[in-house]
Amino acid sequence: MIRTEQLRFAVGSFALQDVSLHVAPGEYFVLLGPSGSGKTLLVECLCGLNRIAGGRIHIAGADVTELEPRLRRIGYLPQDYALFPHETVAGNVAFGLKHRRLSGEERQQQTRHWTDRVGVTHLADRFPGRLSGGEKQRVALARALAVEPDVLLLDEPVSALDEYTRDTLCRQLHQLQRDTKTTTIHVCHNFAEMLTVADRVGIIDRGRLLQVGTPGEILQRPRNRFVARFVQVGNLLSGRVTGGDDRWLRIVGPGGAEFRAVAPPGGTIPEDLHYIIRPENIALSAGVPQETREGATVLNGAIAEVVDLGPLVRVTVSCGGDLDLLVSLGKREYNGRALRCGDRVHVSIAPEDVHVLED
Amino acid sequence: MKNLFSAEPRASTPLGGLRGRLFVLSMMTFVGIFVAVWVAVISADIGYTTGEAIDQAIHSPEIRAALWLSLWTSGVTVTLGLLFAVPMGYALSRFRFPGHAIVDSIVDLPIILPPMVVGLSLLVFFATGPGRWIEEAGLRFVFQPQGIVLCQLLVSASFGIRAAKLTFDGIDPRVEHVAMTLGCTRAGAFFRVSLPMARRGIIVAGILIWTRAFGIFGPVMIFVGTAPFKTEVLPTTIYLELSNGRIEAALAVAVLMLALASVALVGIRMIGLRESS
Repeated sequence: MIRTEQLRFAVGSFALQDVSLHVAPGEYFVLLGPSGSGKTLLVECLCGLNRIAGGRIHIAGADVTELEPRLRRIGYLPQDYALFPHETVAGNVAFGLKHRRLSGEERQQQTRHWTDRVGVTHLADRFPGRLSGGEKQRVALARALAVEPDVLLLDEPVSALDEYTRDTLCRQLHQLQRDTKTTTIHVCHNFAEMLTVADRVGIIDRGRLLQVGTPGEILQRPRNRFVARFVQVGNLLSGRVTGGDDRWLRIVGPGGAEFRAVAPPGGTIPEDLHYIIRPENIALSAGVPQETREGATVLNGAIAEVVDLGPLVRVTVSCGGDLDLLVSLGKREYNGRALRCGDRVHVSIAPEDVHVLED
Repeated sequence: MKNLFSAEPRASTPLGGLRGRLFVLSMMTFVGIFVAVWVAVISADIGYTTGEAIDQAIHSPEIRAALWLSLWTSGVTVTLGLLFAVPMGYALSRFRFPGHAIVDSIVDLPIILPPMVVGLSLLVFFATGPGRWIEEAGLRFVFQPQGIVLCQLLVSASFGIRAAKLTFDGIDPRVEHVAMTLGCTRAGAFFRVSLPMARRGIIVAGILIWTRAFGIFGPVMIFVGTAPFKTEVLPTTIYLELSNGRIEAALAVAVLMLALASVALVGIRMIGLRESS
């Protein structure tokens, strides 16, 4: 539905560099990156608010690179919503409908339809200055959707809201997108927000699209250290390759611990490398584990810290040397074990759960 | 939009203790002194003049003509001034073009220059080639009522342009961007979004232009003279009456101007600067 090819745009010393992206029809795509990574600039380029220096932009099969924003059939919800303060809620939602050949009655019906959909009909006569943050977001969303765009571009649509409202609105956004099947690009820097809504996610940093995949792929198989850190993999380790075969690499990590990892496909493998082990993929047991997966690394250590995160408990196991491993347990699993700081435990890590990074 | 010209209270009043109250008091002292000086000066004017003098002024054909000339010329100046102020304020706020800083400085020139210089410069300009060509083409300004408008416009438009620019600076360009994604052209976004949002600022720009234009004296006297029933405006009348030693008559006209200006300013503020939401 929306495709960019080698998109380039520079402003001052910052540049979007050869961004190639494809979002399928009906897909909910999240563009995730830290502040200043170029997310908003990219969305503005897609909207036609910035003239790009190179590359092409296609929407619904048409090359829109040179088209004005009004001709691109996009719905745009910017940061802070940019509601028109001189128009009422109904006026805001109807704003884009005035450019369509609709009768006054049809326009009213459409406006009513979208205010109903986002639950702001009771506010129809209010001006934006008298709305809460969540209400403003809904009005801006209705305004963007009312023109029935091919692509909906949401620039940090919930970042200014409190956590509860953000979570509620994210779920509603996701449901609305499912109902309308509008192809959506949602820009954010919040990891939990991404998990709530995304079909696929693209990680962007310093104007480059670093990795695109499903949330599961990004979480379990980050491409490089930046992505790994940004998605909070928990255990990001460095090590040296000491051998291997067709199936596994042998890596010596901090404290001399030896891990086996599935060899990454293709390319040469550097001697010194970085790899990740997600906390939820580490098995923890009080005694020596009786059953482990083939090639698993078993280490023993002492519990250094236990942090209750609500539904999860994060346990830090100190395995000697510089090796501290974060292990994530479900609350029920944790409660059944009564772990305390200082307890001796064993951890086992299967080769499939040791993921080698590209850089 | 930043509410630059709001008549509503801006902030809540936090608890400040004795030091806080002293701070507020010190600020309000300056407000009080300023207002007191003006009230004293205006009261002196009103006290010095008599009802009879004012009545004579109102019924004098010459002063009536000057009043009418002042009103229509300043009205036309406000219209023309806003015609420049709105697009120029928008362009200076939104666009970056070669010479932007120079244009910005030129806009400020009439604010800094003594108004008399404007009248003198205009007189010199219309004595040179391009000026004579304009006059010969039928657009006559020197010693003509139209010249009053030209003087007023050159002296006062800058105040309007500056106010309009400040207003557009306070409007987030993103509202225009959204309008453009909703079907508006760039001009459409301006007319449907930015211009209505700038309403209050534009009214203030109009007030600034009018107040400056209505009271202008020096350049008008130099450029168009003081011909009764032709180029005599109210400030000129005051000068002429004073020159002839008729101080009561001069004060009566001054009080008339004060009353007119007060009614106009309060009226515009009450009608134009009401909160829309």
